[in-house]
This record gives sequence, structure tokens and C-alpha cells, in this order.
Amino acid sequence: MLLHLVHETRYAYSPTVESAHHVLHLKPASHTGQQLLRHSLGISPQPARLQELTDVYGNTRSYFSLQGPHDKLTVRATSIVSTLALNGEPQDAAPGLPWEAVREQFRYQAGGAYDSACEFIFASPYVPRDDAFAEFARPSFSPGRPLPEAASDLMERIHAAMTYESESTEVGTPALEALQSGKGVCQDFAHIMVACCRAMGVPARYVSGYLLTTPPPGQPRLIGSDASHAWASVYCPVESKASGMALADGQSPGLWLDFDPTNNRAPGEDYVTLAIGRDFLDVSPMRGVIRGGAHHVLDVAVTMTPIDKLPEPG
Amino acid sequence: MGSVDNNKSLFAAAALEAPGDLAVALALPATAGHFDEMHGRTLDRAPTVASSTQNQNQNQNQSQGQRPLHVAGAAVTAVVKPDVIASAASSKGPAPDWTRFFNFLGGDGFDDLNHRTANLQRQIRDNGVTYNVYADADGPQRPWSLDLFPLILSTQDWAQIETGVRQRAQLLEGIMADVYGPQQLLSLGLLPAALVQGHPGYLRPMHGVLPVGGAFLRIAAFDLARGPDGRWWVVSQRTQAPSGLGYLLENRLAISRLFPEAFRELKVQRLAAAYKTLIDGMKAASPARRSGEESRIVLLTPGPYNETYFEHAYLARYLGLTLVEGSDLLVREDKLYLKTLQGLEPVHGVLKRLDDEFLDPLELRSDSTLGVPGLLQAIRAGNVLVTNAPGSAFLESSALLGFLPALSRHLLGQPLAMPSLATWWCGEQAALQAVLPRLKECVIKATYPSSDIHSVIAQSLSSRELDEWAGRLVRRSEEYTVQAYLPLSQTPTWQGQRIAPRSTMLRVFAVADGAGSWQVLPGGLARLAGVNAKIASMQQGGSSADVWVVSAPVPASGPSSGSAAHAAAPMPARTEPGAAPQDWTHSQHKPAVTSRAAENLFWLGRYTERTENAIRMAQLTLRSLNGEDQSSPPLLAWLSEMAVKNGLVMDTVPPATQARRVFERSLIASLADTDQAASVGYNLRALKGAASAVRERLSQEQWHIIVKAEADFFSRCESFSGPEHPASQAPEYSSVEALAALESASGFLAAMTGAQTDRMSRDDGWRLLSTGRHIERLNTLSAALILGFETGAVHDEGGFGAMLALFDSTITFHAQYQQQRDIPALLDKLVLDRDNPRSLGWVTQTLRGRLARLAENTAGKAQAPELTQTLPDPGSWILKELCSAAQGADPDQPYANLLIQLERCCEAALDLSDLLSRRYFSHVAQDEHSLGA
Repeated sequence: MLLHLVHETRYAYSPTVESAHHVLHLKPASHTGQQLLRHSLGISPQPARLQELTDVYGNTRSYFSLQGPHDKLTVRATSIVSTLALNGEPQDAAPGLPWEAVREQFRYQAGGAYDSACEFIFASPYVPRDDAFAEFARPSFSPGRPLPEAASDLMERIHAAMTYESESTEVGTPALEALQSGKGVCQDFAHIMVACCRAMGVPARYVSGYLLTTPPPGQPRLIGSDASHAWASVYCPVESKASGMALADGQSPGLWLDFDPTNNRAPGEDYVTLAIGRDFLDVSPMRGVIRGGAHHVLDVAVTMTPIDKLPEPG
Repeated sequence: MGSVDNNKSLFAAAALEAPGDLAVALALPATAGHFDEMHGRTLDRAPTVASSTQNQNQNQNQSQGQRPLHVAGAAVTAVVKPDVIASAASSKGPAPDWTRFFNFLGGDGFDDLNHRTANLQRQIRDNGVTYNVYADADGPQRPWSLDLFPLILSTQDWAQIETGVRQRAQLLEGIMADVYGPQQLLSLGLLPAALVQGHPGYLRPMHGVLPVGGAFLRIAAFDLARGPDGRWWVVSQRTQAPSGLGYLLENRLAISRLFPEAFRELKVQRLAAAYKTLIDGMKAASPARRSGEESRIVLLTPGPYNETYFEHAYLARYLGLTLVEGSDLLVREDKLYLKTLQGLEPVHGVLKRLDDEFLDPLELRSDSTLGVPGLLQAIRAGNVLVTNAPGSAFLESSALLGFLPALSRHLLGQPLAMPSLATWWCGEQAALQAVLPRLKECVIKATYPSSDIHSVIAQSLSSRELDEWAGRLVRRSEEYTVQAYLPLSQTPTWQGQRIAPRSTMLRVFAVADGAGSWQVLPGGLARLAGVNAKIASMQQGGSSADVWVVSAPVPASGPSSGSAAHAAAPMPARTEPGAAPQDWTHSQHKPAVTSRAAENLFWLGRYTERTENAIRMAQLTLRSLNGEDQSSPPLLAWLSEMAVKNGLVMDTVPPATQARRVFERSLIASLADTDQAASVGYNLRALKGAASAVRERLSQEQWHIIVKAEADFFSRCESFSGPEHPASQAPEYSSVEALAALESASGFLAAMTGAQTDRMSRDDGWRLLSTGRHIERLNTLSAALILGFETGAVHDEGGFGAMLALFDSTITFHAQYQQQRDIPALLDKLVLDRDNPRSLGWVTQTLRGRLARLAENTAGKAQAPELTQTLPDPGSWILKELCSAAQGADPDQPYANLLIQLERCCEAALDLSDLLSRRYFSHVAQDEHSLGA
């Protein structure tokens, strides 16, 4: 599927901002399931310089700073991405190892094998360690159950237990609080899933991205449209080293399977991955430090439309 | 045993005996099982706890799939058993260096020790050496605690420490380079990911970065303890922002002064060279080299509320670095700049005392207000050298110690020269299983930095508590690290009447010399535990001691003796620590005046003047209310209005003309009120606040005067206006007390202004201080004159005199005009005169001069007029015009012309203050905010 994406962030400040530094995660990744065909970033006021850097997870980070006074800022990221359906139903993948085997694989032993997926096994700022996550996760992780199956069951249970309520939480809400309150937005659903997997000793990461608004004919409209979306990805090593689907870490012999607990389904070609990280904090689309501008109004608009063919470059 | 009297008589009786022998004989011995530094041995049987086994993390059993039963930390070579002890210190007598030390005390012996202790305490107080225990704005600043006796380390001891520490610093650097580079140590399983990716101190934005200059670490601190076997063991290491380099210097300065002979004769190794090495190394590696500029290095502090701020200011001054806070710096185009009065100046190196996570709110903690947005970009671009490179905090985990033996073999190809305390990271199953049975003999520590887990000495736990801890270790194994409990060695201290041993830990420092090798500072900071305390911690009320490393005797045959201690040659005498370091850090730059320092100096000036004026007004008022001439209504009206205008009383208080006693009581009660009034106490405190932010620019003496002035005033006020002294107290009595407090404060203020005028370098910062004082003076005195005319006080005998007194011009006036009391003479002296430092003519003339120089230095001559154009010039006013009413003016106010001019003076003062703020300080005041979308 060919998707045209516009992600526009607008700030209005008062009083005037004297100077600002920003860091962006707005450039979609290219991996087996998707390919970035075009991308442009429009920033107003125009910064003197825009720098791109690949972060430790393989995402593109863009940096810019503004030294002159300004009371408005607009950042408009436009991308064209081609996606494949291959991102896959988890069940279609190899049956996978029993979850305990994966856990054992990540227990440290002197001289033991190393897997770079261990980056995603520890607590992170928004996904702290807590017994409540282990407790919630346990029913899905019955002895000997293959990990993809356990993760799929976990997704289903999070979806059932949590109520989606827009603006019920804030960007900074920790996963634990959302779990206890039983409601949240896609970010919370994803954090909870990530936290539950880690609590069971399984690497899991946070995926920031988008979900296509227009529902296919005859299907209901999905939550998370017209905004950034987020879901979870669980590391499912396979016994043979056949797979190479991993994003950004060629060393991982395993498969990262995506789960969207907000919609209780596996992401397909109507999903676009923007960035991956340990949690939201690693990949927030736009972060900044401004001098001045004590009050600000933020407006974010995401528009994603399927297109038939690539427009003429112009 | 050993009271002072006993000692004295013993000295008298046994005059033949050397003081050293006697001291040793009289000293209390160390607790059984602890190494006795003075006697050089461990008494009685040592508990066989410190590593009776070699179990540590990092097994060598590489066979896959086999659960290692034996976790071998092969580098722990020393096995502590009592029989080893004898060989460590076979001599039965005291260690010879200690005997020599006590011998140099001379004939007065112990009698003199209390005298020296008093000297020491005074010195610490006078130098303002503090340690903010609670790191809180209003918390107590505890004086630094320092014992009289140094910890003396023999040449042999030092050789072991130096070799071991140098190797470890090198090892830590190797680990950093790998973790932020190829990560082979992780791939090989030599280092668990839980201690890197699982540690909050591992900073992902630094991954793949090779810092400018090629090295990550330039300072490393190691905490060492001496076991019962006489060997030194590493307990922990600090790399993020290790503290102690300033305190130990201050300790050295104080103690070497108290024992000059012993210091000289023991040939104690000097410290200055190591500091020079650090700074020279930073300069050599800094990016300024590329552009051929002179490098500017700054010392980044979290600010005055930090617990070790004293040493930040002290070190900055000693090293000749500019002391800066995050808000003094900014990043543009990936380059770091310092905001100064002269504009932005490039910064090439940062010696940081700020924890990593606060460094850059853009990429690290977004709630940090202490850092510099964009700093990590500047580091990645190689445009600034930060010491140490951010991201080293994971090295500080105790858990790492268990893995160092294997890491050392892998990275350096050598075994560790100095052992670590036996350490088990519980995240490794084999280590956990190994340590559980012996938990009782160990100390439990947190693997990750956390404020809520303190070290637990398992010996002190009940068996139920011990079981609970074992459960925690199993459930959350990665979060805990267990270390063998090591009885600390005990060093002699002077406890007022006798020599008594205290448990000690030694912090030593290694500094990179820029050429890829490390130098160990020959000395350190000894931290002493309280009586019976098992942990030596400054935060938990311990004390400290200087550390003397005895030089190896110089062999007569020449320099062939290859002892390690000798290699670190003593410094030439001129580099005595504490001596001005300018001889080696002299800069071609004029020292920068940061915008923050400038603003604080400006306010220091304004508060100094306000305090002085408040004191003088309060004195005048109290004297007038209780003097011979009590009933002059114009005088009372003038004083009342002045008191309200200047915040000495609230405006709801009835004026003295209506209720003289109520007014007086309010004035007295408000003197030390810092909530509702802006009287003397309020201004003194504000003055101290401004001064504390620029402490590194003030002499110790000047700071001491300020501290003492504030303390003195508030304690005096307590005696007459505290809550326990309600208004019922006879005002006659309390006004006498209040006048005494004001008199005392006035004396301190004279000392402060004297120091400001006479003892500060007259740079642009000083010009702003002076400008602040004169702006305040212009405003206050102009307003006082206006009120004097409006209330008619100047036409009254008492009021005329009071006005002269307020302008501090009584004597000069009478010398010129004798007993005259006419207005033109008054105006001549207080307004027109350009020689009287309190006349408006002098004040504005001085302001003009200061501002012209300031503008010239900061923005070029062209802008000077802009700053001063609105400033009136009373020196050029014509007396006759001031004394004649304008045409058609109010006949009741013949001085209307004058009043208009005086109003202009008040306005000009306030305008000028705003103008200066906008031009020089505005970017300091602006708050930063973090955004997320």
C-alpha cells in the first residue's frame, strides 16, 4: 500500500520565545515491512541548520535550533511510505520458543551468548519495574506456551481489561498508573504490554507510528486515527537463524512481532512505523527546550491517505 | 586513660622519653580485628570475613549449558587469615613514620594539641569551609570537620596504592571505550547487559561517540579500605563527578600549617602537580588546539545549594577556572559559549561537577534546569571537552567490582594489582547461590543508584530480617550486590584529651595526563567514622583527615632506585598547595565576568547600600525618638514617611506624629522581620544571598564578614524582638538593645564596603557592583531630600541635623559652615558638591565614570552615552535656580524647581537599573521550559 503522510506540529507561544532547541523523531523507518520513498521536513521559522543522526535504535533523529525571537513554530513532516502486509499475523510466524526458553536466554551467565535485544529487557523511564505487571501478565504465560501465543493472549487481555479513553492520561503518565486506573490512550496500552513482557523476562519495545484512518469497506473505523499511534513489539527468537526481520539491530537473530493492544490486532499494511525505543520517551516525535514562552498552545494534526502512485517529484 | 593532666605529668617525669614513643604508648589501641594504622598491626584475632573464599562474579568456566558451581574471581589473591597479618606488619613497635611525626611535636607535646585544634577550627570557620548537609537553601551549612592528625602512609603503602589505582583508572577507561564503542565486552559475556543497558547511567545519546581528545575519563576516584591483613582494598569507584579534590586541598593547607616541622621532615609528597596535570591535560586535548585559540575551561557547578558547593568555588579559584552554572552557558551551532558582560565567549573545556542526567534537558532529563540544552550535540560534534565524558555513571556500581578481574585480564592482559573487596552481583545465579549462605558476614548494597536503599550491614540484622533480605535478593536479584564486610583500619585522632582510633576510608584520585597515562595524586581524603560507627560518611556525620604520603628517602647513589613513590617526584617548593596557581594557569584572557556573576554583583551592590541606608535610618529614628528633641513634628513626619517608603515599617503603622511608641515598637519589631518588612535583616539576608552566588570572586575574609554580620544581627535581635518578647517590654530598654544591634551591624557594613572598595579587582563585575551601590544611593538620597522639603523637616533644627546625618555629612558640613543652618548651604553640600561621596553631584559623576568604562569594555565607546543620557548632573545645577521658585509656582513651595530635579534623579536611577538589566542580565532571568509533542 502506498501511503501519503503529513504530520504537522504547531506551537503558539506567549511571550515570545528567545531561543529554542528541538529534537525530532518524524522520519519513518525503512525495514522489511515498509519502505520510505520520500520525506521532507518543513520548519518555520527556518532554522539555520538541520542535522540528522541515527540513534542507538536505528531511528533517524533530527536536530535544529532557533536563535532568533519567535512566537510561532510549525514543523511539517511529509512522507510517502510503501507498506507490505507482511508485517504479519503473529500466528503465521514460526511457532516460536516456549516463553521460558526466551527468558532463560536473557539471564546473564558469564561468557554466555549475547543478544542485542537485551536492550529492551530492562526497566526504562516510562516503564518501571513493578510486581503488578508480572501479576497481570502471568495468566497469559502458562508453562511451556510458545511466546508468540502468550504475547497474543496478553494483547487480547490488555484490550479487554482497559478502556480506551482519549485524553484520560497525559504524555507523562507512567504505565503503572494507567494499569491501575484501567483506562488510557494507545501510548498507555503499548506501555502496559511492554511492561508485562519485560516483567516475564521477555524483551519488548515501544513502537511509535501511524494507523490509516479510512477503514476498508465494511469494516469499523479504528481508534488511533488522525493522530500518532503506538503499539508494542515483542522479541520472539526462533531456533534457526533464518529470519532477518529485525529492525536496526542486525545482531538480533530473532523476530520482532508487533502487537497493537489498543485495537487487539496485529499491525498490517495500514500501519506505518515511525520509530522504536524502550518507551515513549526514547521516540517522542518532538521534544524541545525553549527560553521564554512560558505559555504555549500546541496543535498536532496527522493526515494519512492512501495514494495510487507516486506523485511526480516537484 | 590519658587525660591531659596525666600526659603533662608524664611529660615532666619522663622528659628523657621521646614524645613519639610516649604518644604511641598513650594512644588507645584500635579495636580488635581492625588494622591499627599507628601501630602498624592488627591486634588479636581478626574475624575471617574478608574474602575467605574467592567467589565472585565472572566464572571462568566457559563450557556452555553447564551451571557453573564454582564462580572464580581469580584475582582476589589475598586470603585474609590471622596468620597473614603477622607478616604484613611484623614489627612490634609503632610504624616508624608515626613515631617521627609525634617526635616533631616538640617539647610542649600534647599540651599544645588542644591549642592547635582551636587554631584549626578557627581556620576552617574563617575560611568558610562548609559542607551543606541537607543541600537545602535554608538548611544548615555545617562547618567542614577535619581531624588534627593526618593519616600517614608509608612509601611502601603508597607504592601499592599508586600501582593499583593507576591500573584501575586505565581499566575503567578501557571499559568506557568499549561500551560506547564496539561493545565487545557485552558480546563476550564479560559484562552483563544489566550493568550497562540496565543501568540508568548508561547514556544512549553518547553511543558511538569518541570524545574530543580521545579519552572518556580524566578523573577517577577510588574509595579504599585497609583490611586486617594490612593490604589496601578497593571498595568503590567514582567517575561521574567525584567530590573531594577541593576539600583535600583545604585539609592539606590547614594541617601542613599546624605541623610545619613534621610536614617538612617527613618529606610529605606535594599535591600541586596532579592538579596541574589535570588542567594541562584538558587544555592539550581541548578543541581550542585545532583553531589555535587559547582554551577556556570552566567548572560547571549545580549551584550554591549543592552539598559540596564550597569546594566547587574553592577549586575554581585554585585552578584558575571560571565557575559557571548551566544558565551561564549556551550552545549555538554545536558550539558551547559562556555568557559574559562582553558577550558570548567560546568555551572549550568543562570540568563538570553536575551529575550526567542533568547535563542536557534536550536529550537527558527534561526537567533539569541545571544543564545546557544542546550540550550533548556540542560534545558529539567534538567542539567541547567535558571531563569526565557523560555516561560513566554505570562504572560506579559496586556490582562492577566482581567483573573487574576478568575485564582486566581481557583488556589489559594483566591481573588486577590491587584487589577489590569480594563482591557478588546477585543477578548472576551462580554468584547469588554462592553468597546466600554467607550473607550474615556481608554488606548488602544497591546495584543501581537509588536514594531509598542504603547499605545494610548484615551482622546487625536479626535472623528474621536476614531471611527477608535473602528473599529480596532472590526475587529482585539484579538490583542487589553483596560485598564482604571488611573491618576498616583505624587511624589515630585527637579527641581533646587523648589519642583515640577511628575507622577510616581513603579516597584517592587518578588524573589523566593527556598522553594516555594516569598520575595518582599523592595524597587523598581520609574519611573518619564517628565513635563505634562502621561506615565513614561525611553525610552521616563523620570527619575527615589530611593524608600524608611519605617520600622515599633519596638514595645517595643517584636516581637509580626505582620505587614507584619516588617516580612521582615531589614538587618544587614553589608549588605549595594553596599558593596562587597563577604561575601556571596564567591566562591571556582577562578573566570573564559571567552575566550571572554580573547580575549578582550588581545586586550585591544595591543590597549593600540598602542595608547601610536602612541601618542609618533606623539609628536616626530611634535616636530622635529617644533624644532630647523629641517633639519636632516635621522631623517625626519625615522619619515616619522615610520608614514607610524604605520598608522599615508597614504602611499600616500610624506615624510617629500620632503614636510615637507604637511606631517605635513596630520599627524595632521589624528590624529582623524578613517576611513583611524590608528592613535591616531582610536586606542583610538578601545581601548574603547575592554574595553567596559570587563567592568565588570574594575573598574568604569578605565572605566571613558577611556571614558574621548576618548571624550577629539576627541573634542580637532575637534578644529583644523575638516572639518571647512581646510588645509589653519597655521600649526604652529594647531601643537601647536595638541601637546596639544597629551599631554592631554598622561596623560590619563599614568592613564590607571597605573590602568592596579596597580589596576587589576593579573589573567590569566590580563596576557593576559599584554602579548598583550608586544607583541605590541616588534614589534613596534624592527621595529623602524630597520628603525633607515636603514635610518641612529641613527647616527644622532637628530635621536639618538628621538630614546631614543621613547623608553622613555632619562633620564635613560643620567644618565648612560651622553652625549655619540655611538651605543653600545644605544643598551645596548634599547636592552640588562633587567631593562629598554622598552628595548627588558626586554620585552621578561616579556613575557616569563607571558606566563609560563598562560600555567601552563591553560594547564599544559608542554606546556609553546611551546608558548615561538620562542621568541628571546635579554637580552642574545652579544653586540660585534651585532656591528660587519657578514663575507662577506654588508660593508655599519655593523649592519647586529643586523638587522637580530631584524627582528626575529618582526616575533616572530606576530607569538606569532597568536599562542595565535589559542589556546585561536579561538572558539570565529568562526561564527555560521543556516541550514535548
